[in-house]
Amino acid sequence: MLMRSRMPDKAQIATPPASGVALRVDALTKRYGPQTALADVAFTVEAGEVLGLIGPNGAGKTTLLEAVAGVLPADSGTIFWHGAPLPPALRRRSIFYLPDGLRPWRDQYVERVLAFFAGVYRTSDLDVADTVRAVGLAPVLNKRVLALSKGYARRLMLALALITPHPLLLMDEPFDGFDLRQTREIMDVLRKVAAQGRSLVLAIHQLLDADRICDRFVLLAEGHVRGVGTLGDLRERAGILSGGLEEVFLALT
Amino acid sequence: MRSPEAAVPLDAPFGPLLAKELREMASGRPLWTMLLMLCPLVGFSFFQAVSLYGETSATALTSPGLASALSPLDGVLVPTFGGFYVAVTLLFPFVAIRVLGNEKESGALRLLIQLPYRPPTLIGAKLVAVFAAWLIASIPALSALAIWEFMGGHLFVAETLNLVLGHLLYGLLVGAIALFAAALTESAATAAIVTLGFTLGSWVIDFAAASQPDLLGWSSRLSLTQTLHTFELGLLSLSLVVGVLAAILGFAALAAIWLPMGATVRIKLVRSLICLVATCLVMVAATQIRWSADATEDRRNSFSLADQQALAHLSDQLTVTVHLAPEDPRYADLRTSVLSKLERVIPRIVIRFAGDQQSVVGSASDESYGEVEYSYGGRSAVSRSTGTEEVLPLLYGLANVPLPVPATGAGDYPGYSLVAAPWIALPWFVGGLPLLVWVAWWRSRRAPAIKYTSSQKEISREHLT
Repeated sequence: MLMRSRMPDKAQIATPPASGVALRVDALTKRYGPQTALADVAFTVEAGEVLGLIGPNGAGKTTLLEAVAGVLPADSGTIFWHGAPLPPALRRRSIFYLPDGLRPWRDQYVERVLAFFAGVYRTSDLDVADTVRAVGLAPVLNKRVLALSKGYARRLMLALALITPHPLLLMDEPFDGFDLRQTREIMDVLRKVAAQGRSLVLAIHQLLDADRICDRFVLLAEGHVRGVGTLGDLRERAGILSGGLEEVFLALT
Repeated sequence: MRSPEAAVPLDAPFGPLLAKELREMASGRPLWTMLLMLCPLVGFSFFQAVSLYGETSATALTSPGLASALSPLDGVLVPTFGGFYVAVTLLFPFVAIRVLGNEKESGALRLLIQLPYRPPTLIGAKLVAVFAAWLIASIPALSALAIWEFMGGHLFVAETLNLVLGHLLYGLLVGAIALFAAALTESAATAAIVTLGFTLGSWVIDFAAASQPDLLGWSSRLSLTQTLHTFELGLLSLSLVVGVLAAILGFAALAAIWLPMGATVRIKLVRSLICLVATCLVMVAATQIRWSADATEDRRNSFSLADQQALAHLSDQLTVTVHLAPEDPRYADLRTSVLSKLERVIPRIVIRFAGDQQSVVGSASDESYGEVEYSYGGRSAVSRSTGTEEVLPLLYGLANVPLPVPATGAGDYPGYSLVAAPWIALPWFVGGLPLLVWVAWWRSRRAPAIKYTSSQKEISREHLT
């Protein structure tokens, strides 16, 4: 029997450039009645970078991710993909959004949930096995989703995202439920994913975690962008000569 | 790990989605619970039906004239499927709602709508799962038919299939309504209330409005159970089939419209309005379809073959003016015995009520009340009869057509009497079948074979060998 191809030929041909602006969010606004959840939010995501979406609880991080992914209708604003407007109905062609706290298809076995995603995206068994090993999901493949611990449920969600071929992954609190060692392992995995050319936007409330993995940051507070850039850029904007992300965050929000 | 692609095409294979839907449906408890409840429910209905049929058959042995009136469709099939109908009305909505409502409540829908499928494809797969659930749920009723055959009972294929088709359409309609309710509402409980509002509301309409005049009476035609009633009479009406299919697809389309979370409510409302208008147009157009077939062996929905052939040649318009209130039992007799048969056979026929506001009480002093006027080719005749024996000669007289000579012997329904012991079915419905259901449920919960634990090298080796 011949060995199956590791990835489709079209994927090899159509791999996006590893540099340049992949996603541009322009003047994105979302209101819930009189309350403005997002106000003229604007930022860019480079190809192959890890962008951290930082903000306190209620800052609008999840709303922003969902609006960018197209699973929540925005009131105004435009999303550009490699310079061209990307309407909500077509976002799922380029963007995959991993919500926080999901435990999907609870009655199914982990193996079958992975097989479902692999079948949908025509991902090879080799790639799925690689992903399973990378996120440490092997011990629970024959368990039902409802029986998973919080950490393994999170690993399953990560595995599903990594099985997809989307060039941009939006992840809401990807390290929630992991201890320090596990968080570092998953960070390594995500760095490798970014090194392959994928862009990652991570909504993180643990600033230390964000500081460790993200290339750049978007500081969000009360639906407004307070700053965008590297830690150095943000220090400069905050007028702080030294200090970590926590100090910058407190100064700008 | 997988490398990224520039853009994911929206052409994912249907197989994994359908397999997931079927697994989801099979892994949930509502289907198996419903099936377990159906076993004694259908079993008891079958037991009662066979008992009564046997008692009537025993009487027919002493008076042969009675035997020709014994029809398994009325005596066994319809009562047995009656238990199934109750379960589909009250329990099947929960099975169908789970197909979508579970994903909505767990948040899995937020992943599902991002997959490279269009919303109609997602709903289509769920509708197929609902169909599969109905097939599984129908096993007790279908097994009752097999037992009836085993007992020596008679089944006429056309009328049996027609009845099953009616129940299938009814089940799919309930399922489509459930999917729409699940897509529209936030919780499965609310969706259940909405769906039961449709199904139980149909009962209310049937009981309260069926014999009422005007708008109330017309509204009874929208009852879901009326859908089934025509099939139970042994009539296959293309108009009804097209209308029900349009309703099923309409509700499914509405579910697909309300499924995506990224669209605004205004857009969904506009699309829903367009969908509703299109569905209504198709349903109205379906009412103009006149083709129907009498699936019964005793041809209860048709005149005799000789009369059918003679009446089919009446080319002018026949106008029937009924001086009866719609709720009058005589009108019900006339409708069943004469009018519905005339509608099926005469190419051009108009049936109308004489007065707009006639009622049994209000028309008691009207001397013409109870008359039925038949007008054909510029001539008219009046009759108070509700039977074919008087009406058909009257029509032939109006049309100057000689009375057709009935064919001798051909087409006479013999009747099928059977005195059987119904208790032999009980072990199956309260023992064997529930045990099989339990085994099937247990097997559906088995863990799959693990294939993703191997390292890359091991998998490569497996593929190469």
